[in-house]
Order: sequence, then structure tokens, then C-alpha cells
Amino acid sequence: MTLSSLTEGIPVLSVLIFSPLLAAATAVLIPNDRLLRWWSLVSTTAIAVFSLALYCRFDPATARFQFAEHAAWVPWLKIDYSLGVDGISVLLVLLTTLIMPLCVLASWRYIKARVKEFMICMLVMEAAMVGVFCALDAVLFFVFWEAMLIPMALMIGVWGGPRRIYASIKFFIYTMAGSVLLLVALIALRLQTGSFSIPGMMGQPYAESFQIWVCAAFILSFAIKVPMFPFHTWLPAAHVEAPTAGSVILASVLLKMGTYGFLRFCLPITPLATHAFAPYLLWFSVVAILYGGFTALAQSDMKKLVAYSSVGHMGFATLGIFVLNTNGLEGAIMVMINHGVTTGALFICVGIIYERLHTRDLGEAAGIGKSMPVFMGFLGMFCLSSLAFPGTNSFIGEFLVLAGGFAHAKLLVVCAVPGVVLAAAYMLRLLQRVAWGGENNPVHTGLKDLEWREILTLAPLLFFVLWIGLHPQPLIRIMHVSVLHLIDQVNLALPQAAALLP
Amino acid sequence: MTPVTQALLVLLLPLVSAAVIALFLRRQGGIATLVSVSVAAALAAVSLNLILGGERFTASMEWLRFGNFAVSLGFKFDDLAAVMLFVVSFVGFFIHLFSTGYMREDAARGRYFGGLSIFMFAMLGIVFADNLFMMFIFWELVGFSSYLLIGHWHERQSASDAAKKAFIVNRVGDFGFLLGILMCYWVHGTVNLTELGATHDGGGIIYSRLIPLLLFCGAIGKSAMMPLQVWLPDAMEGPTPVSALIHAATMVAAGIYMLCRIEVLMVPDALQVIMWVGTTTALYAALCAIVQRDIKKVLAYSTLSQLGYMVAAFGLGSSSFELNGVAIAAGVGAAMFHLTTHAFFKALLFLGSGSVIHGCQHEQDIFKMGGLKSKMPLTFWTFTIGVAAIIGMPGFAGFFSKDAILLLALQKNPAVFAILALTAVLTAFYMVRMWKLVFFGATRSEHAAHAHESGFSMTLPLIVLAVLSAVGGYSGIFGRIAGSVAYLVPHAEGADHTTILIVSLAVMIVGAGSAWWFYKSDATDTLEAKSRGLFRGLTVLKESFDVLYDYYVAKVQQRFAMLLNFLEQIFLAGLIIRGCAGLVGLMGLGGRALHVGSLHAYVYWFLFGLVLLWAYAAGVF
Repeated sequence: MTLSSLTEGIPVLSVLIFSPLLAAATAVLIPNDRLLRWWSLVSTTAIAVFSLALYCRFDPATARFQFAEHAAWVPWLKIDYSLGVDGISVLLVLLTTLIMPLCVLASWRYIKARVKEFMICMLVMEAAMVGVFCALDAVLFFVFWEAMLIPMALMIGVWGGPRRIYASIKFFIYTMAGSVLLLVALIALRLQTGSFSIPGMMGQPYAESFQIWVCAAFILSFAIKVPMFPFHTWLPAAHVEAPTAGSVILASVLLKMGTYGFLRFCLPITPLATHAFAPYLLWFSVVAILYGGFTALAQSDMKKLVAYSSVGHMGFATLGIFVLNTNGLEGAIMVMINHGVTTGALFICVGIIYERLHTRDLGEAAGIGKSMPVFMGFLGMFCLSSLAFPGTNSFIGEFLVLAGGFAHAKLLVVCAVPGVVLAAAYMLRLLQRVAWGGENNPVHTGLKDLEWREILTLAPLLFFVLWIGLHPQPLIRIMHVSVLHLIDQVNLALPQAAALLP
Repeated sequence: MTPVTQALLVLLLPLVSAAVIALFLRRQGGIATLVSVSVAAALAAVSLNLILGGERFTASMEWLRFGNFAVSLGFKFDDLAAVMLFVVSFVGFFIHLFSTGYMREDAARGRYFGGLSIFMFAMLGIVFADNLFMMFIFWELVGFSSYLLIGHWHERQSASDAAKKAFIVNRVGDFGFLLGILMCYWVHGTVNLTELGATHDGGGIIYSRLIPLLLFCGAIGKSAMMPLQVWLPDAMEGPTPVSALIHAATMVAAGIYMLCRIEVLMVPDALQVIMWVGTTTALYAALCAIVQRDIKKVLAYSTLSQLGYMVAAFGLGSSSFELNGVAIAAGVGAAMFHLTTHAFFKALLFLGSGSVIHGCQHEQDIFKMGGLKSKMPLTFWTFTIGVAAIIGMPGFAGFFSKDAILLLALQKNPAVFAILALTAVLTAFYMVRMWKLVFFGATRSEHAAHAHESGFSMTLPLIVLAVLSAVGGYSGIFGRIAGSVAYLVPHAEGADHTTILIVSLAVMIVGAGSAWWFYKSDATDTLEAKSRGLFRGLTVLKESFDVLYDYYVAKVQQRFAMLLNFLEQIFLAGLIIRGCAGLVGLMGLGGRALHVGSLHAYVYWFLFGLVLLWAYAAGVF
């Protein structure tokens, strides 16, 4: 592959983190809004293309961290600048870099004021998100983790809807509360192991009580991010107020940080405590699936509907994680990626409706499908994907999670499967109303179907919906060895740590 | 071409057609029609070649591998698949042909024919599938194409509601199906149909019963058995050829086909349940059919009733029926036999009703028709053959297949035999009622007065299906298509033969005769006029399920959703989250209140603190 030979010897991960920052710095100098949009599009697209080098060069046969970079940062505190990706994080990095150009496209018209600041926020955001998935040093991780909050809060607070200030503050404080616990846990681990290296923290024989406390802090902070029931109330508020691109980033990438945290910290660092907490977390996941389904059924604001459906889908992801077997974990990672694709696409669709009608109300948007057939085609496919229709991406993920869950505890699956029926109910309700519902609304006359820019935004997502749905093997291949390794880490520790118990 | 290539061609042709129509021909209705119909013709020809060629094969390739869990895509083309393939491709082609006439003036023809092509693809996928996972994928896909086609005339609220209802009710059934597949995989380690046949370990007393019953849930949804039968009558909102193809001949029969596919997993207890579900549905739907005014609704309930027959047949006779001392899966034979003949005559009846509806300017109320015999002679005669077949007139297709089922019931379970015989009386009764009201007597409406015979593209399918309905029951015909499946059909001998013959003749004469004698060619229902109580009772019986489910959806589920949403706003987001924020705010306020900026206050607080310190030092607390 030429891309892999071209990038030989280049520190790919550092380039991926710093090039958005460089692009942001350049954007400061650009005076013209039009030019700025093009600049952001070109730079994010270039980064996306460059990131494909990860896909080409990644070696799926090993669970080691690849593309590793290492440099001393703050030597007297033993804080390092250390990066690397395994089969799990590489997929999330790719998801991030590939979704960003689409976010720029989706805000092409939507953002009219302060375009420069908005684009800078997006680019800084990208750097921080990629950083979170690549960081192998706890402090570095934490810096990126927190850095992400600022542009996101700004996006909601400056370019958001009428209640943007409330939503922005709620989002910021809520996730901040989680981060504090994370920081405490990381410092506690530093005191035990003597370094901030994340791989160094894994597989250590910590005492069980220590693990319980650390793991509890992890779980709280990540559960807020996922968000797991009952910590989800910031999500609908933030989604409803955020601009389209903000919602897409929030749904596609930010929520994955929580589940990624579970996979990177809870499972390998505190395996004993994970085993202890798993039964409760499983039931919370099932509750999230059903709760998200029911509340989505009650929404008339389309963004809220999709937001609550996110709660349900992420419930599937956490369910898959905590059954702690291969099918479950691989399914969970698939669900994470699928949710990024599908929910991102649904938010873009809602944004497209909003740009035309200036409403997100299901009743007022009813029947626009009659004048927008191409848009309906896209929306229909994404709705099918969201309700886990076979042949689309979500089906593979949710089926794997259910298969994993079934091997773990049958009752769980029996309780979770009605979530699939609920998903059909609320998604068809949305589709039905938008496509066919309502009387002929005079506002809808002269409604334009999708333009090329919008088709270009949605088409790649549709491609992923079908590609992952029909041929998920490449993704599975990349993650498989890393997942097996993770399972070993979380299970091998059992006898080893049991010996430590008094 | 090798048989595998042919099978692949049969499967993929409609997909190509659907894709071409969806991408390029949405507005070119004429070309879309041509594409879809010629594809249907081509695949009917190739499948006929495949069926009569006699080659039976399995072929598969691995699709996904997740660690030790592998899913393959493959063909299992045995005699069972051959029967079903014949029904789908052959009946499917004639319904495509009929549609060209029926949908000629429809503006959205492109969408319609695209939908038909997707349906053919999905249905053929079910026919060929060699494992349950693949079957499930296509199973959902037929549900989706059925959703598209029921909602074809989406300007009507009732049509789009019916489409949604069909999809969601099917999803409820599929919930069990999916669990069944997971459990099957977990117990047997495979979902491949051939490999399942080789496993003899049932997985213990619980799982051996649970697996078939959970899989049966899928059939309950798709074949509209009780209690999920509610979507099928509503699905009549779709265009009539769709009702003929999807909601009579093929898709609803997929549930029975699937049961026959998993016959090896069945255990006697599960079969008991299946038998009773089928029998109850057969009787219930026949009772409902008596009070219908809409020509398509009568046929829809009749379809439900006949599907009940097939399911009952499967439940009655699997695995333990003795023929010349050899146990055979007679249930499979009888069910598939009836499935085939039913596909012929019910497609014929639906298309006939479509011809009538088309002729009467889309009038569907049988009490507003009448006297169409002379106006639409071809439709009348073909429809009459269909009626003769369904009521079991000797010599017609339905007679043979129904007798096979009655024979099984007679030998296995007298109660079921009685119920099925009663159902047969009712079948003859409501069919003859409809037949008389539509074709005889005086014309009772403006539309019916101007009725005219339909064009050639619509009458040709009627004639072909009428011929099949007449001769499809003879073993020379069925045996030719069904191969070894035909040997599984039980045949009565000796005393049983006489009993069955007498009973089936008697029920037919009683039912048909009483309907002919009882109903007047009138604008009101004779039953309603003569016996109000009975009529009311039957209407309530029909509506009770819908009322119950509507109550659940509107009052229970939606209100529960609203309640949760409300509680979230009040408690979770309000009291707890905002409460925490408020608490912090209050502490802030309290702290601020201490800093009033007055020297007196500070001196006071200073002294207070001093006293506290002093007290602590002195050991007071």
C-alpha cells in the first residue's frame, strides 16, 4: 500500500493530534468565512485521509500498543508523553477523524455567526479527541480528557439554541464532577505503581479493597460520560441545544469516551473489582435499554428522541462490556462504532430538517418526506439502522452483544430484547410522521430536496451503515486479538488476585 | 450453468431489479414495470428449470467469524425448498403480470414494482437459507418490504398505520425468534439446518421444549397466528395484488415453511402447543369472516383460517405418523401440500377480488356489488373455481389437501378434528355468502352497475391460477414439483377414507347450502337483520383483540412512556440534579450571608469561634 510506505517513519499519532491544532492556528489568520469553511473542510479531510495509514499499517495479529511514541515530559513527576493504539482505540481514532469532515460539511450553512471561532473549536476538539484515544500516560490522558470539555461547552454555549447557557453549564459541571473522581483514581494508582504509565498500571496485584475504591471512581466518572442510567439527564439537554455538528460530535465520539474508559481502565487495571461490580452494571444497562426506549417513545422533539435512543444504544454497549466475554466485548465495540455512524447520521438528518423548517417538532415536520424523496431515502436507511435491522451495521453489534449476554445470563437477554421492539416502535413513529404524516402543510410548499453538499455529508455514513452491516469482518479482524488480550487481563487476574485476599 | 449458479441468479436478479428501480427508475413507472416483470418472468423460468431439473444441493460460504462463532450464507435446496420456490416464483410472476394492469394508473408505479422486487429477493432468501441466522435476516427483510407495500397508498392514514402495525407486530414475534436462534446456537453449537438435523441431543428437558416454541414465535408473527393475528386484516390496506402475493400466497406462509424446516427440533409437547394455536386460529378467523363487509377482509380472515389449518396440520402429524409401519413427518407433508394448493386458490381469489374491485371503481363493500356474473364472466368463472377449491369441492385442489389434514386430525385428536370440521363448515358458509353477494342478484350500486371485465394482463393470471386450483391437488402435479415431500402427505385408507369423505362432503354441503339459502341479495347483512345478537357477538369477537391492543398501546405503553418522561423531568433532572446544584448554591448563599461587611458581625463571629476553641481545649466536647 502506498499510503503505508509513505507514512513510514512518521510519528502518525502525533501528526494526527497536532495537525488539527496547526490547522486551527492557521485558521486564525483567514479573514473570509467562505475560505474558512473550505480550509476546515480541506484540513479535516486531509487528516482523515492521513489517518487511513493507521488502518493500512495496523498489525491485527498482536495486542501490543502500536505506533507507539515515547518522550519524557515532566521527568520529576514521571509524567511522559506516551502514545499508542491497540485494536480497540485505533477504530475509535478512525471514527473520530472520519466523522470530522462530515461535521464541517453539516455546519456549512447552519453556522452563520462567528464562523472562525466555530471552526477553531472543531479543530481543537478533534485534537483533544484523538489525543484521548491515543494517550498511554494517565496525565496526558487526563489533559486531553479535560481539554475536550472546553470547545464542546463553547459550541453549545455560543452556537446553541435558546437554553444554551443552561445546557452548556449543566454539561460542563456534570462531566467535570466525573473527571474529578477520575483524577483521584489516577493519582491513587500513581501512588501504588510509581508511574503514570497506563500499561504499567495494568495487571498489578492491587489489594481488593483498593481496587473497589479505584474502580468505583472510574465507574462513576465513565458512567456519566456514557451516559448510563441514571446519569444521563445532561445528554438530552446538551443535544437539544447543541448545533448539528456539536450533537454529532457529542453522539459519535464523546459518548464513546465513557465506554472506552471502561475498556481501557476498569477492565485491565481493576479486574477484580470489575467482576464485583459487573452484575449491577449489567442490570443498569438493561434498565438503560428499556428506559431509553420508553422515554424516546414519549418525545416529540426529534433531537430528544434520538438522544434518548442513544441512552438505549449505549446501554447495549455497556451490556456487552460487562458480560466480559469475547462476543459481548466485540459486540460492544461494534455498537460503539455503529452508534457513532448511525446516531451521527440521524442528528445530521434532524439538522437538515431544522435548517429548512426551523423546528425540530415531530408534528410540524410531519409530511416533509412528500417533497423530499432523496432525503427520505437516507432517513429511512438510518432509521432502519437505528432499529437494528438485519443487513445494517447495528444488527451485527446488537446481535453479538445479545449472543454474549446469552452465554452469560439468559434472563438479562430476555429482559433486554424488548428494547429491540421498542426501538422499532419509536423509530417507525419518527419515520412515519416525517415521511407520510400530517395534512398538507402550507409551510412545506417549495421545500427543496437535498443539495449536493448534503448528499455528500450523508453518503459516507450510509456507506458505513451498509459496509459494516454486510461485511463487518475487517473491523472484527482489527479488534479481535486486542479483545482476547483484554479478556485474558480481566480473567487471569482472578486466581492471581484471589491469592492476595486474606 | 450449474444449479448453484442458477440458484444464485434466482436470488440476485430481483435484488438487481430493485436496486435499478430505486436508483434510476423512480419516476419512469413504465420502464420500472417492464424491468420488474421481466425479472419475475426470468426467475420463474430459471426456477422451473431448477425444480424440474431434479438436482438438489447444499452450498455455503462463511460470511462472518467472531472467534468461535461463525455465520455462513448458503443454499439448502432440497425438495421442501423446491415446493416453496415453485410457489414463490410461479405465483409471484403471475401476480407481477396482474399488477401491470391493476396498477396502470398509479403515479408511484416505480416504487410499487421496486417494492415487489425487494419482496421477491427477501422471500427467495428465506426459501434458500441454509441456516437460521440467514433466515432471520431475510425474515426481517420480507417484513420491511411488506411494510413498504402495505403503506403504498400512504396518503391514507389507515394505510400508513396498518404498515406500521404490521412491522411492529412482526417485530414482537421476531423477538421470540431471535431468542430461539440464540438459544439454539447456545445449546446445539450451530444454527445450520443440515447440521441441526444431525444432532440428537435435545439439550435437556427445558431447552428441547423452549427452542422450538421460541422459534415458533417467529411463525406466530409472520403467519399471523393468534394472538398476533391483528396485523393481517389491516394489511389489506395495501394494493390487492400485494395482498395476493404477500398476505396470502407467500410471506404469511413463510411461517409454516420455517416450521417445516426446523421439524427435526420438534418435541411432542411443543407440537401440542403448535397444534392448538393453529386450531384456535382456524376457528376464530372463520367466525370473524362471517360478519365482514369488505371483500378483501373476508379473504384476509379466510387466509388466517387456512394458515391455522396448516399450522394445526404441522402440530398434529409430525414425526410420529405411521405409514405402512414407517414413521414419517406427515405433518410436514400435509402442511406443505395445503400451503401449495392454498397459494394457488387464495392468490386466485385475491386477484379475482382485485379484478372485481378494479371493475367497480375501487368499491370493496360486497353489499354494494351484486349481479357481476354477467358483467365480468371471466372473473366470475375463475373466482367460482377458487371458491370450489377452498370449500373443498371434490376434484378441486383444496379437497385433497384439506382431507389430508382432516385425516391427521381424525387419527390424532378427535377434539381437533371436530373443530377443524366445524371450521370447514364455516369456510363453505362465508365463501358462498361472498360469492352469492358479489356475483348474483341485483346490482346494488352505481359503481357495480358500470362494472366491466378487466383487461388481458389481469385475466390471464386468473385463468392460469384457476387451472392450477383445479388440478393442483392431483398427485401427478404436486408430486412432480414436491418430490419426496409429496410422499409425506398422508392418504386415507379403508374406514378412515370413508369417514373423511363423508365428513368433508357433509360439511361442504351444509355450509355452502345454508349460506346460499340464508343470504338474500340485499344491501344489508341478512344475519344482522335476522339475528342481531349473534351478529353483534361475532363483531365483538373480531374487534376484541384490536381493542385490547389499542388500549395497551395508547393507554398503557404510551402513558407509561409519558410517565417516565415526566418523572425524569421532575425527579431526576429536577429534584435530584437541580437539587444538588441548589444545595451548593444555598451553601454559597449561606457563606455569603456571613460576610455582611459590618465590623460588629465579624467581632461577634470572632468571639463565638474563640469560645468554641476554648471549650474544645477545656475538654467540654
